[in-house]
Amino acid sequence: MRRSYLLILILVLVSPIFGVIGAEIVGYHEPLDVAAELIGLGESEPIWTGVFPDYTVPGIPDVIGYVISGLVGVGVLLLPALLRGRRD
Amino acid sequence: MHIPDGFLSPLVALSLYIISLIVVAYSGRRYFREGGDIYYLSVMAAGIFAAQMLNWPIPGGTSAHLVGGALAGVILGPFGGCLAMFMNLLVQCVLMGDGGITALGANAFNMAVVDVFIGYLIYKLVMRMSGGKKFVAGFLAGWLAIAAAAVVCGVEIGLSPQFGYPLSVTVPVMGTWHLILGLVEGVATGFIVSRVEVIGK
Repeated sequence: MRRSYLLILILVLVSPIFGVIGAEIVGYHEPLDVAAELIGLGESEPIWTGVFPDYTVPGIPDVIGYVISGLVGVGVLLLPALLRGRRD
Repeated sequence: MHIPDGFLSPLVALSLYIISLIVVAYSGRRYFREGGDIYYLSVMAAGIFAAQMLNWPIPGGTSAHLVGGALAGVILGPFGGCLAMFMNLLVQCVLMGDGGITALGANAFNMAVVDVFIGYLIYKLVMRMSGGKKFVAGFLAGWLAIAAAAVVCGVEIGLSPQFGYPLSVTVPVMGTWHLILGLVEGVATGFIVSRVEVIGK
């Protein structure tokens, strides 16, 4: 079962290859954000940008920020599992 | 599939907040009353969060990432799947600004309710009809449930004058696009459900 923790960790560590590097190569945005731009809604006015806006850490290179924000997100979601363990 | 702020009319956004909260609360009651363990919700939510960070870039300026609602619904059962997806969406919205805070109800409805429950039902149905072919059932569940969620998403933004395109545009565009992208979701769902232990009933 610790295999699931390991798998999640690996996913986060390799994620910038897709989510940042690959995305820059093809000029990627969320499909709905692209749609917003096309019709002039702009992504300019989010009401809440988050603690790590779009998986970035302000002032830190995108690749590293992506991993850091990913680790924080995963860490928060895993808290109940880590604190309580499996009940059986 | 994550709807940002500004796409939805206040009426659509608010209605879906209410509906989603009711379904999530009911799912919580059912999941824990039936002896569900928060451990599995936690690991599933974290796994889906991590998997969704793998955007597969597609030339032309867009990308596809797994959504995972059908997968969560099959593995944890619909109530557990709904809760795990909601936990994921909440963290994405609050911490990463992924999905607008005003659209959280709509995003939860699409990905934690429609994708999960439709996916679960398709999986059960195909399992019964095919005599237990897990890959096929998982494939169809992952594929068709994501298309269903996309159609519902198209309805939501089409009903909102803020978006500026009518239902006759938003629904076919979202639906057909995700019928294509959803093939990847289907293969991944089929692959995973045929290899892991299914906890939900």
